[in-house]
Amino acid sequence: MSAQQAIPRNGLIWLLVAQVLVIVPHLGHLPLWITALWLACATWRIQIFRMRARYPNGWIKATLMLGTGFGVYLSRGSLVGLEAGVVLLIAAFILKLLEMRSRRDGLVLVFLGFFAVVTSYLFGDSLVAGAYSLLPVIALLAAMIGLQQSRLASRPWPTLRLAGSLLLQALPIMLVLFVLFPRLSPLWSLPQPKDRAVTGLADSMAPGDIAELSQSGALAFRASFDGPIPGRDRLYWRAVTFERFDGRRWSQSFASQLPQSPQWQRQGESLSYSIVMQASGRPWLYALDVPQIEESDARMMADFHLERRRPVDKPLLYQLSSWPQALREASAAPPSLERALQLPSEGNPRSRAWAMELRRAHQNPEEVVQVLLRHFNREPFGYTLKPPAVGSDIVDGFLFQTRSGFCIHYAGAMTFVLRAAGIPARVVAGYQGGEINTAGNYLSVHQFDAHAWLEYWVADRGWVSVDPTFQVAPERIQQGLEQALADERSFLEGSPMSLMRYRDIRWLNSLRHGWDNVNYGWQRWVLSYQGERQREILQGFFGPLDWRKLGVAMVAVVFLIMTLLVLLSAKPWRYERDLQQRQFGRFERLLARHGVVRLKGEGARAFVMRAAQRLPEQANSLIAFLDQYERQRYAGQASDPTALKAALSTLRGQLPWRPVRIGTVHSDHE
Amino acid sequence: MRLVPRFRDRWLLRRIPPAPSVRLNQRQIFIMPTAVGMAFIGALVLMLVAAINYQNSLAYALTFLLGSVFLVAIVHTWRNLAGLVVQAAGSTPVFLGEKARLHVRLESRGRVHQSVAVGWPQSGMQLTDVPAAGVCALELMMPTARRGWLRPGRLRVESRFPLGILVAWTWIDLQLAALVYPRPVEGELPPIAGATDDPVSGARSRGLGVDDYQGLKSWQSGDSIRRLHWKAFSRGQGLLVKDFAALEGHEPLLDLAMLNGDLEARLSLLCHGVLELSARQQAFALRLDGEELGPDVGQRHRDECLRALALFGLSAGTGA
Repeated sequence: MSAQQAIPRNGLIWLLVAQVLVIVPHLGHLPLWITALWLACATWRIQIFRMRARYPNGWIKATLMLGTGFGVYLSRGSLVGLEAGVVLLIAAFILKLLEMRSRRDGLVLVFLGFFAVVTSYLFGDSLVAGAYSLLPVIALLAAMIGLQQSRLASRPWPTLRLAGSLLLQALPIMLVLFVLFPRLSPLWSLPQPKDRAVTGLADSMAPGDIAELSQSGALAFRASFDGPIPGRDRLYWRAVTFERFDGRRWSQSFASQLPQSPQWQRQGESLSYSIVMQASGRPWLYALDVPQIEESDARMMADFHLERRRPVDKPLLYQLSSWPQALREASAAPPSLERALQLPSEGNPRSRAWAMELRRAHQNPEEVVQVLLRHFNREPFGYTLKPPAVGSDIVDGFLFQTRSGFCIHYAGAMTFVLRAAGIPARVVAGYQGGEINTAGNYLSVHQFDAHAWLEYWVADRGWVSVDPTFQVAPERIQQGLEQALADERSFLEGSPMSLMRYRDIRWLNSLRHGWDNVNYGWQRWVLSYQGERQREILQGFFGPLDWRKLGVAMVAVVFLIMTLLVLLSAKPWRYERDLQQRQFGRFERLLARHGVVRLKGEGARAFVMRAAQRLPEQANSLIAFLDQYERQRYAGQASDPTALKAALSTLRGQLPWRPVRIGTVHSDHE
Repeated sequence: MRLVPRFRDRWLLRRIPPAPSVRLNQRQIFIMPTAVGMAFIGALVLMLVAAINYQNSLAYALTFLLGSVFLVAIVHTWRNLAGLVVQAAGSTPVFLGEKARLHVRLESRGRVHQSVAVGWPQSGMQLTDVPAAGVCALELMMPTARRGWLRPGRLRVESRFPLGILVAWTWIDLQLAALVYPRPVEGELPPIAGATDDPVSGARSRGLGVDDYQGLKSWQSGDSIRRLHWKAFSRGQGLLVKDFAALEGHEPLLDLAMLNGDLEARLSLLCHGVLELSARQQAFALRLDGEELGPDVGQRHRDECLRALALFGLSAGTGA
């Protein structure tokens, strides 16, 4: 029974299967040579089992370990941190297989496998990844069972079936624990996976960036509204504002990153909604203006965007209320006005001159804005993702030469002109619109919905948002990017396989919506089941509760399930007869078929004697069976069902064959 | 100092009273996590810490799933022993120095019981599978340290199936015992004296011997095949042996008192003598401090003598 025993065949088979299943989801972020190492080690191990190769000796093991460590250092640049740690874990998982000799080694391998499954969740926690991970877990459990089995058990399938039934029986307890176990906030911070390629808005933006983003069909976030979903033209999702312009790029000003809540007044109707955003690698949270957030570690910054302390590196759910008609910094001139007038000291002379001209002609800033919008509307401006190249004065080039571009060109140029005319203005970047999912009645916003608009400040009205793109390509706002680019055919040009491109095929689209809805539910109810969200959901069901009540309930329910399980597996209500009694039952049934039925309370001996009188020809066999039965049952001799069985079959051979007659039993009983 | 084990023994005696056949149920089965199980729990704690720090719901889910598997495994491990019938099935006597062989039978009345280990931790456990509604006979070996009754004490039956993270075990008293004969040591016996002084006049025919042909008698097990009457067998008269009578008075007497030295050494010499004389089909007598066996010959006499030698000087019920 010691752990030093050799590894049974069943255990080895399932360990090998489990290893394949554990490593597959990691392949995406592992260096290629790990795969080669893995194939080599697995082949070697199988050859060892077939007695065609020997275990590696100390030198080979040391070389392999050092080589692996060196390889990890070369491909990850360090031996610490999450990325290197995962590669090391997988490498250890592979090398341990090779040198595994005893049952204890096998168990170490199984535990390493469980850890590898946990780390795979850090790199992908989609519904598919979660469901898939059941496969390696079940194989690892089968390997654990296989390690305990004796050599007599050689077929692998019963082992797997047992592992499956263990898992199935564990499932209800797991669900109770998952729902009721209190979620703690992180005990200490750990390195997060970095190699996830995140597409999204950046903290500075040149015109080309949004064009690039528009090629991505990746999801940015999903939003569920408590009421009806507002019209598309009201869905301006603010992510960040750009206040600095250096002649080429718009970027965030340092001051807008200070957590200094601006002053604003609620006004008009409010919208209440929740957002599940995908990992963006940025700390900004998307919201409609002007938001109030319930998430505790997020706050509003000086430029009305929401920011969290840490970057959003995994899907995040938060609840919001927004007042779209709120007045922002209306009463007093805010200190940020100075920043909203910043311009590079030179460049774009024609635009500056035009701005001075406009300012002179119109006293009211509002009029200047209207003139500019009319200008975009009336003049032959075009909306395209592939604008022609311009020189170093990009605003001049856009306004007076090419006259074609997309949102960032319009927003940037208009902000420049307003500033040059002395009107405080800034570019707002975020997303506009979204796709309504009919299956779940929520809004999916993708990267190609990225948009830029602007806001200017006037006394008494505060900051006012305005979107020059609407003047040029209203279909971009009212219908979406695909319609705005219908002539150009540049929508998602780079990804021909994206299902987004086939939105006009109805069944495919409803399938896509359904699947998206399932994933959204997974994010909202499973992945986001953390901290406040857990308390919120539980209180929604059970009313106000505290953690102590929850703990008691958890233990009680788990105890209940365990009791049920014990009862179901022990079946105390079922009376199990021992082997001799079972054989005697068969004996009775056989005789009943030949007309001798045991009476109530008749002893075994009396019964057999009566039978011997009725069936004198078989008397010897009858007595022989009785002797055997009595000896085993009463004389303290160890039971040997085969002897009893043999005596019974001798008797059966001597009696003529008769079919079962159900009536006999009853008629003879009377 | 020995208080705790003694207390444990008394408690066990009340909880699992001695019986030649025991059906295991919740009264007898104890269950605890093994070292592997503790490591498993440690791994789960690490996973939980990872789940908390990464706020990862799937890591939580896997931790809870494996924790639940641990709980479910308690039932499965217990079930793997529950319902198993363990019976004593006798023993074969051995000579000191050989391994005692005790027979135990495991009987399943329903499901399969996989990987059940039976034995004593000091002398090694035997691992076996008991088939569904079947029987499994085991021969347990135990080293012998002294002659007499070897009573190995409570038998341990344990199982770590299915996951090895828990061990269910029981200590049952099947009243197993094996007889250990003294170690036969070749040596010089003192001149074997007859039981009577006058070797000829008082000679009476008695028992089986090789001295004097008395006629034919039917063969019984234990009779030497060298004395089979093959001619009669070929004529179809059955197996007959030529019957010789040993003349009483010539039978050798193995007497403990005639030997000098250590008691065990003397018993070993006598043991060898018994074996030697029995192998020669010679009648003999054995005298141990006033108790006299024989003179007689045959398997039964041999076994009686060996038993007397094994138990000489030991009060009934004590033993190794």
